[in-house]
Amino acid sequence: MGKKGYLAMVLHAHLPYIRHPENEFFLEERWLYEAITETYIPLIDIFERLEKEGVDFALTISLSPPLVSMFADSLLQQRYLNHLNKQIELADKEVERTSFTPFYETALVYRERLYQSRRIFLEYDCNLVNAFKKYQDSGKIEIITCAATHGFLPLLMTEPEAVRAQINIAVDLHKRSFGRNPAGIWLPECAYTAGLDNILKEFNLRFFFLDTHGVMFASCRPRYGVFAPVYCPSGVAAFGRDPESSKQVWSAKEGYPGDHDYREFYRDIGFDLDYDYVKPYIHPDGIRINTGFKYYRITGNSHHKEPYNPKQALKKASLHAGNFMFNRELQLKHLSSLMDRLPIIVTPYDAELFGHWWFEGPQWLEYLIRKIRYDQDTVELTTPSKYLDEFPCNQVVTPCASSWGNKGYNEVWLCRANDWIYRHLHLAAARMVDLANSYPEASGLRYRALNQSARELMLAQSSDWAFIMSTGTMVDYAVKRTKTHLKNFLRLYDEIKNNYISEGWLKTLEEKDNLFSSMDYSIYRSKS
Amino acid sequence: MEMFFLSWAIGIIAVVSIALLWIRKIRLKTMGSSPVEEIKPLIPDLKEEFSSELTPSGPFPEDQLPKEELPHSYGIDRLVLLARDPYWLYAYWEVTATKIAEFTSTHSAWETSWPALRVYDVTGIAFNGENANKYIDIGINDQADNWHINTGEPDRAFCVDLGRQFPDGRFITLLRSNTVTTPRASLSDREDEEWMWIEGIYRSIRHQYGISSPLFAEEVAERAGIIPLGVSSPGHWPEY
Repeated sequence: MGKKGYLAMVLHAHLPYIRHPENEFFLEERWLYEAITETYIPLIDIFERLEKEGVDFALTISLSPPLVSMFADSLLQQRYLNHLNKQIELADKEVERTSFTPFYETALVYRERLYQSRRIFLEYDCNLVNAFKKYQDSGKIEIITCAATHGFLPLLMTEPEAVRAQINIAVDLHKRSFGRNPAGIWLPECAYTAGLDNILKEFNLRFFFLDTHGVMFASCRPRYGVFAPVYCPSGVAAFGRDPESSKQVWSAKEGYPGDHDYREFYRDIGFDLDYDYVKPYIHPDGIRINTGFKYYRITGNSHHKEPYNPKQALKKASLHAGNFMFNRELQLKHLSSLMDRLPIIVTPYDAELFGHWWFEGPQWLEYLIRKIRYDQDTVELTTPSKYLDEFPCNQVVTPCASSWGNKGYNEVWLCRANDWIYRHLHLAAARMVDLANSYPEASGLRYRALNQSARELMLAQSSDWAFIMSTGTMVDYAVKRTKTHLKNFLRLYDEIKNNYISEGWLKTLEEKDNLFSSMDYSIYRSKS
Repeated sequence: MEMFFLSWAIGIIAVVSIALLWIRKIRLKTMGSSPVEEIKPLIPDLKEEFSSELTPSGPFPEDQLPKEELPHSYGIDRLVLLARDPYWLYAYWEVTATKIAEFTSTHSAWETSWPALRVYDVTGIAFNGENANKYIDIGINDQADNWHINTGEPDRAFCVDLGRQFPDGRFITLLRSNTVTTPRASLSDREDEEWMWIEGIYRSIRHQYGISSPLFAEEVAERAGIIPLGVSSPGHWPEY
């Protein structure tokens, strides 16, 4: 049969920077802990196994700078370990509680996974950056970066310096963390607007990703649709998302994750069991929350749920991996008959889909990688870098301004629920540029204040806040974060301008909003 | 991250809904034997875009939080225009007291005029205030400091003036925005193709043909012999 084309799986891993030194039990901080246990460590576990068994593979992972910063933060590392130890304590109890019930097998799975998590976490000195770097260095995964705080860049382009700074800091952190320049970037929310690629070019980023219509609706018709990259006029490549393969995984109705044998997300002992039993493992104020211990399968559309059967679920994951591969084979056979080069299918996903939401997702991914390696020779896994090395000549178009959000453009991040943020974000960005231009060679306290201003601005720019506001739930936290960082910025601006910097307050901010320790505010200086 | 946030958010909704259902069940039971209305499953519709509205949008954050937290104005005259999608623009502005005083001293009283946005279609031109392809006026109110503007026109360039309209039809501009272009919403009808070689491959070509700039794609492509994959050389090149 022979090779008919490539599949590039892209996982985008990101969580907003959430770190509250003042309170160990901040609910939002748990997002990180859950994602570590359910998504990031299971991925590392897969890489470990595949490497041990000599299974060759290629995978692209974007690790956002806030996530990388949280991985490397000692306070969060310690807190995660505390969290994990509590989980393990609960897992031991659960194994006992469920013996001689249909839930026992599942309890054993959880216990094993949690012990495994602790082993892996400690093995990498509590810093998962080390783990991802290891598999990058062995050539199995290509790690790319994302904007510094996941800013929604097209809506920040009123101050191009602010966008440039988002890229600059991201690339800088990537180099420090992974020892090399990132080859490409995941644009936050796949959000692109013409001209953004020029800034990427300045930092030697070779490629980024777009939603399907970002490529399809380009200034000229793309000859190969989304099955080959296009070059922006700057020479930076854009890869378009394949809608067919995305849908198979994403769609809750038609996609794999909704299968009746898979684990049900919304039946958690944090809500289901006696208050006294779960009390030590939920929020100290007694708020019931997800513990991660879930014993039912999706079963069907009603509220009736059957016990989860881990073996049956794994069989399904294997079946679905086979189905996914089979469909890619068909797709590539068809595409290659129409194209005069090998097509590439690009399938980007939120990394947190795997494991957190779709519990069996990581297993599915592992099965898929193995099957692609051993069961066929039509599809080959690749990364965008490898594809560009093989096919360096591509069509030049200006991609269409777009995002992968609802309706495909900017509306999610610019609607009536969040439009008010832009007048403040734009003004703050302009003031940051003004500061950088006004104090070209600051030192001492002023230097620190200027750097902290840049951090506060960047934290306010996270697309996550606007996104949460648009969903209409848990809005308060997002509003508070936006306002707090903006207020901090405005106060720092005034203090710097008035030459009266309150050192105590600055120190508090530096300790609290402590990401990007290598920040140098001069990246905001206007280009002369 | 969306995945993550939504699962949490839906979790909270699910709990509340189940609680409500329970209350409802109890009520129905006490009322008689009518069947319990089944509540819709709370699994999100995770098609391509998982940012779809999962819940009716709640009250806007402005209503929930004290307004004085962030400055309402910054003492800067500005009108900023953003493209939301192929059909909508968003504009926000601030007019300083100085600007208003300046205006009233030159053009009669503020009260005899009313505020309006003039939305210019400036596609393909260097706009000088007079040469727009066309424009529309949108009457607004004095309290407004931002507006969602429906243009209904993808792939067009727009510029907006905030101004005052007088009974005699005059429109006096207070502030002018930046120019933005709405995104396309369909396939381009341009099929002319341009191709680019990059990096290693290109260097060998430069050596061979003596082309100076590695990104000077036209020159590469014009040499029909080296155009990749048998793409024929089209007659004209797109402008970027």
